[in-house]
Amino acid sequence: MGIDLRRIYGSIRNLAIIVIVWEILGRLQLVASGALPPPSAVVLRLIKDWGDYPGHIGATIFGAGVGFIIGNAVAIAAGVLFALYPLTSRVARGLNIAIFALPAIAISPILVLTLSDPVPRIVLAAIGCYFVTMTATVVGLTQVDARSVDVVRAYGGGKWKALWLVQWRSALPVILSGLRVAAPNAVLGSILAEFGGGGRWGLGVYLLGSLGRAEPDRLWGIGLVATLIAAAAYAVFALIANSITGSSQSVTVPTSLLRSDEEGRVRPLWQRGALIASSIALPFALWWVLLLALRVPAMIAKTPAGLLDYLVLLPSAPIAQGKLVAALAQTLPMTFIGMAAGLALAFALALCSQLWPAVVRAFMPVALVTQTMPLVALTPLLVLMLGRGTAVILAITISVTFFPAFVTMAQGLLMVPRAALEVPKAYGASLFTQLRLVSIPSSLPYLFAATRLTAPRALLGVMIAEWLATGTGLGNLLNQSRGYLDYGMIWSVAFVSVVLSVLFYQVVVVVERRVLGRFGMASAQ
Amino acid sequence: MSLNMQRRHFLSLMGAAATLPLTSRLAYAATPLTFQASWINDAEFAGYFAAMDKGYYTEQGLDLTYLSGGPDVIPESALIAGKADVTLTTPDTTIKAIVEQGAPFKIIGAQYQKNPIGIVSLASNPIKTPQDLVGKTLAVPPVNVISVEAMLKISGVDRASVNIVPYAYDPTPLIKGEIDASLDFTTNVPFSIKQAGPDATSFLLYDFGFTTFNDTVVVTTDVLASKRRELVAFLRASRQGWDDNLADPAALPPTFAETWFKGTGRSIENEVYFNTAQKPLIEASGGIFSMSEDSIAANIEALAAVGINATREMFDTTLLEEI
Repeated sequence: MGIDLRRIYGSIRNLAIIVIVWEILGRLQLVASGALPPPSAVVLRLIKDWGDYPGHIGATIFGAGVGFIIGNAVAIAAGVLFALYPLTSRVARGLNIAIFALPAIAISPILVLTLSDPVPRIVLAAIGCYFVTMTATVVGLTQVDARSVDVVRAYGGGKWKALWLVQWRSALPVILSGLRVAAPNAVLGSILAEFGGGGRWGLGVYLLGSLGRAEPDRLWGIGLVATLIAAAAYAVFALIANSITGSSQSVTVPTSLLRSDEEGRVRPLWQRGALIASSIALPFALWWVLLLALRVPAMIAKTPAGLLDYLVLLPSAPIAQGKLVAALAQTLPMTFIGMAAGLALAFALALCSQLWPAVVRAFMPVALVTQTMPLVALTPLLVLMLGRGTAVILAITISVTFFPAFVTMAQGLLMVPRAALEVPKAYGASLFTQLRLVSIPSSLPYLFAATRLTAPRALLGVMIAEWLATGTGLGNLLNQSRGYLDYGMIWSVAFVSVVLSVLFYQVVVVVERRVLGRFGMASAQ
Repeated sequence: MSLNMQRRHFLSLMGAAATLPLTSRLAYAATPLTFQASWINDAEFAGYFAAMDKGYYTEQGLDLTYLSGGPDVIPESALIAGKADVTLTTPDTTIKAIVEQGAPFKIIGAQYQKNPIGIVSLASNPIKTPQDLVGKTLAVPPVNVISVEAMLKISGVDRASVNIVPYAYDPTPLIKGEIDASLDFTTNVPFSIKQAGPDATSFLLYDFGFTTFNDTVVVTTDVLASKRRELVAFLRASRQGWDDNLADPAALPPTFAETWFKGTGRSIENEVYFNTAQKPLIEASGGIFSMSEDSIAANIEALAAVGINATREMFDTTLLEEI
């Protein structure tokens, strides 16, 4: 894979066009009555403020870095375990989905209460990494060419031998693409915890101090620095992945993927029941044990029993239920619309990345900004442009959902075996026809994986928008309960949002099994 | 893990051995007390910074740990979780927690005799009374919605006639005219608005019937019982710090520039403005932190308007008397 200078020039040119258009929009105060500062003002402000930055950057990198290492180490270890012993994956399934779906805005205050700075930052950064990398590890280890594993097996090699000689190699690019997504997540997790955590240092703390000063150029500067840190981490893993992907792909088309013993086996009903029950029980058990271990007083920390009291048994329960139901009626419809819109954009973008790679590469920095620019700083701008209604909820929801979905889908399109593409190519098919006949159908598992990633994030996006902009639904209920010290409601909202996210996830899984089963494909775990 | 535990155990034994000959001195050593602030480091806490820098807590035999606050830091929660001994709260949420959840809190002092929160608007589109809010969009941090509802009710303004939206402490939407007014500290945000260009105008909720304290000094009943001496010492040293700081509001903030205020992203001019504006809201004829019987009664009355049933027993004025 040689370096194509023309492509690099093309990307730089497109990026330059974006910056120039932004500068003109900012200078002429065309966006949101001038609330969007031109890039030159942001940079000048950044230079002026530079004396403030080193301490904050150091604290954020520390939190994000330690969280990134811990979160990914646990994720890769768990991924290997789940791939080798699929039974464990079924037991841990509920736990994995619950960790994935934990709404950061709900657990941040609880982490801040029970742990001391900087542990909340590390935990939130690690949680941001875990699911993405764990999923990537499992996908990478299982989507392997079965013939290579057969060779190892035929020569008497066991599971671990196959893992070491074959699966590990084919998994590496996928894991690296997971780390690529995990890196901005870690930075964002750390900043989010800093934002509420009450420490002295970190970009989140800095943002908070600057928020009340009506200086959008400073806020954008902080966002820019956060983005650069995330982009640097992203770039490192993208470079490593690029240099490895080329050498580890099969030359010919595999006729079948590796199927584990577990998938083929039909277990008796009681065993399946036990697996499902333990998968559901595990997150609850862990929730209970963690609270006991941390010795958080019962008034603040609700155990499953405490939550049952609050929502069902206490005399005040009907009031609490009423508040929750009213909030859900506002939040749920927006979640579905936001999810559909985020997926549609990601899919369109992933296709574009095949058709017009340079355009998408130029767009990537902008996309990254939306991932690392703290939404709190962007909200006034979005509110000025879009008002405080449906549009702003959709914009925020799309911005938190499309990026991971896009990366997953683009990865799926890249992983299409070259030999399969050669067939339509040989018959003179256009790039578009190649996509339609080969790339899209064969990357279906990734499309579903992206949908599963998106479902809980859509709920989170809607809640953030409700909290910061519209003052409706679950997001507002959560924030208001925090102010009223209504700990039962804080836990209820967190619990309900996790349960909903798990539910969305399960629905996608059922549809996925039906569809992929018909195509004879394995799902991308 | 077990090795680690052993080592820690060993070290603590070493530590105990080392202090053994000095036991007599321990009686005079500073006793630890942890203070949870309610927001990030700004002029709102200048009195405590002054007291720390001038060694007033040490003189009182206290080893004070200062914890900065932030939007997710619920000060009362830090008390319940045992992370702090004493904190600053908004009285409405504290009293609501006592009444509705049986939280074991006592209010032992009040930093602001008059709550600094108020309605801030632009001079070009001024909102000078609660009645002016009819038909307008008002941004309020979700935490403070009950305070605004109380003020509206007391002033006879229909809650439904005001469009209340969330406020995230960024005045940009106000400056750009997307909202007509916001609820914020009147001691602080008019400065930021002026810096951005327009002039601001404001009124205190306090002046329209919501007669509450703010930054009430709160402890749990347990801490009140076990650390009474330390709490009196804390109030005494903090009062000294506040007296020094308010003597000339422009004098001390610059001395915190490289320490307490370093890296907060706010300017010293902003802190001086804040410090000057808050002086009349903090000073009290009975000394800083006073809670006179009249003002306690005013608090109880204002909170009753929103259905929060405060009682005199929730305020403990005996520590102030010991200062």
